[in-house]
Amino acid sequence: MHHNPISIENLSYTYPDGTQALRGVNLSIRATERVALIGANGSGKSTLQLHLNGILLPQEGQVMIGEWAVCSEHLSSIRNFVGLVFQNPDDQLFMPTVLEDVAFGPMNLGLRDQELKERVLQALRAVNLDPEWYGERNTDNLSGGEKKRVAIAGVLAMNPQVLVFDEPSAQLDPRSRRQLIELLQTLPLTQLIATHDLDLALELCDRTVVLSQGQVVFDGETERVMSNPDFLVQHALESPLCYSRPYCQLEHAPALLSSSIPL
Amino acid sequence: MLLHVGAFHLDIDSKQTTPWHQLAPRTRILCTVLFVFAIVLTPNGHWWTWAIYGLATMSLLWLAQVTLSVLLKRLAVEFTFIGVVLLGTLFRGGGKLLWAWGPLQITTVGLTILGSVTLKALLSLLVFNILTLTTAVPALLHALIELRVPPLLVAILTSMYRYIGVLNAEFNAMRRAAVCRNLMSSKRWQRLVIGNMFGSLFIRTYGRGERVYQAMLSRGYQGLPQVEKVSPGKRGDIVALTLTVILALLGQLIYWPR
Repeated sequence: MHHNPISIENLSYTYPDGTQALRGVNLSIRATERVALIGANGSGKSTLQLHLNGILLPQEGQVMIGEWAVCSEHLSSIRNFVGLVFQNPDDQLFMPTVLEDVAFGPMNLGLRDQELKERVLQALRAVNLDPEWYGERNTDNLSGGEKKRVAIAGVLAMNPQVLVFDEPSAQLDPRSRRQLIELLQTLPLTQLIATHDLDLALELCDRTVVLSQGQVVFDGETERVMSNPDFLVQHALESPLCYSRPYCQLEHAPALLSSSIPL
Repeated sequence: MLLHVGAFHLDIDSKQTTPWHQLAPRTRILCTVLFVFAIVLTPNGHWWTWAIYGLATMSLLWLAQVTLSVLLKRLAVEFTFIGVVLLGTLFRGGGKLLWAWGPLQITTVGLTILGSVTLKALLSLLVFNILTLTTAVPALLHALIELRVPPLLVAILTSMYRYIGVLNAEFNAMRRAAVCRNLMSSKRWQRLVIGNMFGSLFIRTYGRGERVYQAMLSRGYQGLPQVEKVSPGKRGDIVALTLTVILALLGQLIYWPR
């Protein structure tokens, strides 16, 4: 595994219509780190993520993925190295059956027959989907949570070293969201998770990067930024819900509160 | 097309285990296409040939254990489209004049052609419907690849099959949203709104196509779909193909001396 899978230097990107999506972004992620990428709508999260897979090429600055700079010559190595999980699984599941869809990536890698089958089964098991039951099913007839897991399996089947998620918990019910969080916790890969679900970020990631209008305005411990409501509001975000919930057990309450309650 | 979308479950009889189902999907496609070619290339007026082919189709119908009610429903829908073409074949000159009203005339030649084309259409549709009823779409697409149909073309068919349900759901969601805001006032207004829905559906499809392509790229797609190895055929497949060819020739032989 590469020790420093992602390093971005001074990256800027402007869309053809003149919108400047990224301005001088600097970011470096170490192996097996799980990093949350948060920011308001239109802050440049998706644009940044598309750079990590070479779908957008840097206009200014440099993106290094593993030992390769993101440019058109290294695209296939980069795409094997970084797996991108899109927000809407319907955009990602384009083959008729689950098995075929998960096999799409490894087939592009040139795997065939037994090896291909092994890889697909392994990926399906990694996301807790029974290949017997799901394999031949139509990707259109799955629930949102199942679709998400098939999409993740499709990316895992390529054996990437870095997983990049765009809004993984969007449109999931609480149980599917919980299963997803548990799944992400078990995956021993470097992960960059763009999300509006700050509770998920707090639970999964020790480190958080805040993007605002295309710039990195915070890069550090998740708990530090989450406990600074003024800073969050300033960048069009809001404290995680769990910060405003009443405490179920007294020992979880902050010291100040517990000392004032007579027991 | 839209008539079919409502119940998009084509292969309701694909889980059975009849001799027809034991054939590899590519053999089923080959037999069907061969047979349809034999049907449509038969010259007009060769009724006995079609009688033989019809008998064969009926035996296939029985052999494959197709659900008749569904088959007939689909045939009825498809015939409404073909009906327009059929009407055009009726009014033409030549032969004995049977009936005339202004420029419209019905002649013996017209009737022969109408009957022939109707039979050809009926038999071909029957055979194709049996194929789609008994074979799952993914298996059909796979078989097309095995039959050396250009992979890019099959990939386009595959994504059409995959996304028609999504598009349908999206259109229904839009329609429901419009009805929720009281889209009832006038027929003209309804038509306008539905037209706009189609427009925005088209634009959304464009955006979705872009995102799907990005998702494909990010999983290593390099412009051409990958093809799996083709499994060798079994003896049953060869027998079925031979039978189809013999049947096709047998039908034509009846009119041979003429």
